[in-house]
Amino acid sequence: MKLNVNGADHEVDVDPNMPLLWVLRDELGITGPKYGCGIAQCGACTVHIDGQAVRSCQVAIGDLQGDVTTIEGLGTPDALHAVQAAWVEHQVAQCGYCQSGQIMQAAAMLELNPEPTDADIDAVMSGNLCRCGTYPRIRAAVKTAAANLKGA
Amino acid sequence: MRIMHLGVIAALLSTPIWAADTEIEITPLPEGSVNSEDGLAAWDRIYQVTSHPRCSNCHVGASNVPMWSGPSYGGKPRPHGMNVNAGESRIGAEYVLCSTCHAYREVTGTRLPHAAPQVAADWRLAPVEAEWFGKSSDYICAQLRDPARNGDRSYLDVAAHLEHDVILHWAWDPGAKREPAPFSLQEHVNDILAWGAAGMPCATD
Repeated sequence: MKLNVNGADHEVDVDPNMPLLWVLRDELGITGPKYGCGIAQCGACTVHIDGQAVRSCQVAIGDLQGDVTTIEGLGTPDALHAVQAAWVEHQVAQCGYCQSGQIMQAAAMLELNPEPTDADIDAVMSGNLCRCGTYPRIRAAVKTAAANLKGA
Repeated sequence: MRIMHLGVIAALLSTPIWAADTEIEITPLPEGSVNSEDGLAAWDRIYQVTSHPRCSNCHVGASNVPMWSGPSYGGKPRPHGMNVNAGESRIGAEYVLCSTCHAYREVTGTRLPHAAPQVAADWRLAPVEAEWFGKSSDYICAQLRDPARNGDRSYLDVAAHLEHDVILHWAWDPGAKREPAPFSLQEHVNDILAWGAAGMPCATD
């Protein structure tokens, strides 16, 4: 099976029912997306497929349609995505496990809704759990990222 | 809230829900061949389906918030978790797309308890005018025979809709220890045909 991740083509020889998350982590060694629950209850595995936030643990590789972007492809240490830069500025992460999923969900939201209200942020981000409870900083960082994207 | 990429959303909305994974026989009965008593009995069975959580949880009104109710969820009905709101798009385009978690799955979908159900279609709410959750038999009966609120469908069109829409098929085969909708899809289609042949009677007539 062929897939494109972060602009690079890959071919993997796996069961078509294997979740995309397993392919990314175990077959391709792309470990930014995290395994949290495996049943779309936590959001830690969130990636983009053609720009849409998707829980990669729920997508069978045989049903994958579109190009995949993971946190590794969103920005680089030298050229951070606005959401990543805002995350650093607000020191959002505590343990950090959920954060790549949080950032991918937030980046997808700002593509669709560049000026989210607090209610919008809560509606979009509530599917991404953070057991450290960094939610107030997540909300603040999303607003900073939105403002910076608007000015860009 | 400003929404960008309307073209993307329009494309998602126009994606047809269709897959012939379940064989259903649609055998229309001659008009008037079913008396109103039998027609009302068919309606009572139809209402058992429309009011069942497998169907009504996503047939919600203008709140655009799907429900979690039924034996699988215990206790009293509650809104879908994760603060989910499907928006006026009814596919979550304003917030989180339903398909963010309810992934497209060509064959059987995940059967894991508590996982997001999957079908070979974009997961979505029913149209707002098809509100069933918590509604009475009389209300739903009037709605289902009203072209303005049933997608401009004759009863034969309703039967064909049941044949084509794989999200509806899922209701009878939800897996993961979820209680399926009552009767079978074929029996439900047969009841729609009998109710229609009787002139779509409602108890309020």
